[in-house]
Amino acid sequence: MNILTMLWKNLRRGYQTLLFPARPKVTARFRGLVQFDPALCTGCAVCRMRCTSRAIEFKAGKGEFTWSYNPGQCTFCGRCVEGCTEHALKEGHTEHALSQQQDTPPVYTTQGELKTSYTVARRPPASKPVAAPVAAPTPNPAPGGAQ
Amino acid sequence: MNPMLTALARLLIFPGLLFAVPAAWFFLWVERKAVALMQERVGPPFMQPFWDFVKLLGKSTPPRPGIAGFIMRAWPLIAVGSAAGAVGLLPVLPASGGFEGDLILLLALLELPSICIIAAGFSSRSIFGEIGSAREAALSVSYNIVFLLAIVSIAASQRTFRLEALAAMHPTFLTVLGIVAILICLPAKLHINPFSLPNAEQEIYSGPMTEYAGPELAMWELAHGLEWVAATGLVATLIAPHIALAWGTSLLAGFIFVVLSVAVVLLLSVLAAATARLAIDSSVRFYWQCTLIFAVLAISSALFVRFWL
Repeated sequence: MNILTMLWKNLRRGYQTLLFPARPKVTARFRGLVQFDPALCTGCAVCRMRCTSRAIEFKAGKGEFTWSYNPGQCTFCGRCVEGCTEHALKEGHTEHALSQQQDTPPVYTTQGELKTSYTVARRPPASKPVAAPVAAPTPNPAPGGAQ
Repeated sequence: MNPMLTALARLLIFPGLLFAVPAAWFFLWVERKAVALMQERVGPPFMQPFWDFVKLLGKSTPPRPGIAGFIMRAWPLIAVGSAAGAVGLLPVLPASGGFEGDLILLLALLELPSICIIAAGFSSRSIFGEIGSAREAALSVSYNIVFLLAIVSIAASQRTFRLEALAAMHPTFLTVLGIVAILICLPAKLHINPFSLPNAEQEIYSGPMTEYAGPELAMWELAHGLEWVAATGLVATLIAPHIALAWGTSLLAGFIFVVLSVAVVLLLSVLAAATARLAIDSSVRFYWQCTLIFAVLAISSALFVRFWL
């Protein structure tokens, strides 16, 4: 009989479905689109390694690297943000998942259409280590990118 | 009036096709909307079952050559025809020209859509269809015993198989028991929760209807809606001797009939929203172990009343 009182309460409360323009509220621990800060990124590519859904791509070039993020493939697990030692990645709290951001849900016509890419010039390493580490960061991303 | 004309009017106008087809869509909408509201959903708009029907009519179906295709196309039409005939037999209006034994015809016509569903599932040669048909067959064997015993006990206590006489009877304890037994059987007859296993959509897609599309599926939907009208209408005519009392004014009789039918639809919707689907063995056990005793009690007391009182 408990179920009947529950049904009666539901009936009196009315429907809870949000009709289209209305959006659900974002909770405090909501994980939205991943935000990238090129100024903080060192190009270590740990995020790419930790990304299980292969939403993050990383290409190392000479003196620069390209970091790209495909929100269509992202599962919003937050592993990349957890692993980022430089805090260059953040979970967007107000940036809602894709379908909620625009008035109409995005339509893919080609794969990776929603991808955002950043090409960042590689910063010189911090000044303390002198000669050896200068060479070290350059080859470092390459294995990361090849993994 | 010419009895032939009356019969045609009943079959084609009220409570036959002209009334029953919109009523079928309306009942389907009432059921879907009520269940949705009880689950805190919005539910379909008022015209949705009608637009579903129209949309399905406009779709093309894959070609099915040969006798198998012909048989597959024939089942939904037979189901629609028999369900519409069952609605047409309901004694809603005064002097509607019933005949002795029309209750038996009504029961047969009510049963025919279920048989069509079983046959359709097997003739579609889909594994899901066959599973659904087997479930429908097992279920129909279970609930029909109770359903038929209940109706026969009501008829035996009134000493007639004429629907018009049954609609005009005054309720006794026995008829109330019979009506309750019929109500218990209706969820299985209409494939709603907790007896929705023949078309358990999360498990076996649509069961017997899996291979159907387009106009044929539209006919199945229509047959299902007409079954709703016939089954709830049967209960409505049995519940209310008021319909017979209001026979002086046909309009009032029709109105009471519709209101009672909608009440039965709402009751069944509450049941559907409140329960989950039972497994086939639980369903069969429910009818054979729990309900059959009452049905046997009802018919034995009916026979007692018939012969010794």
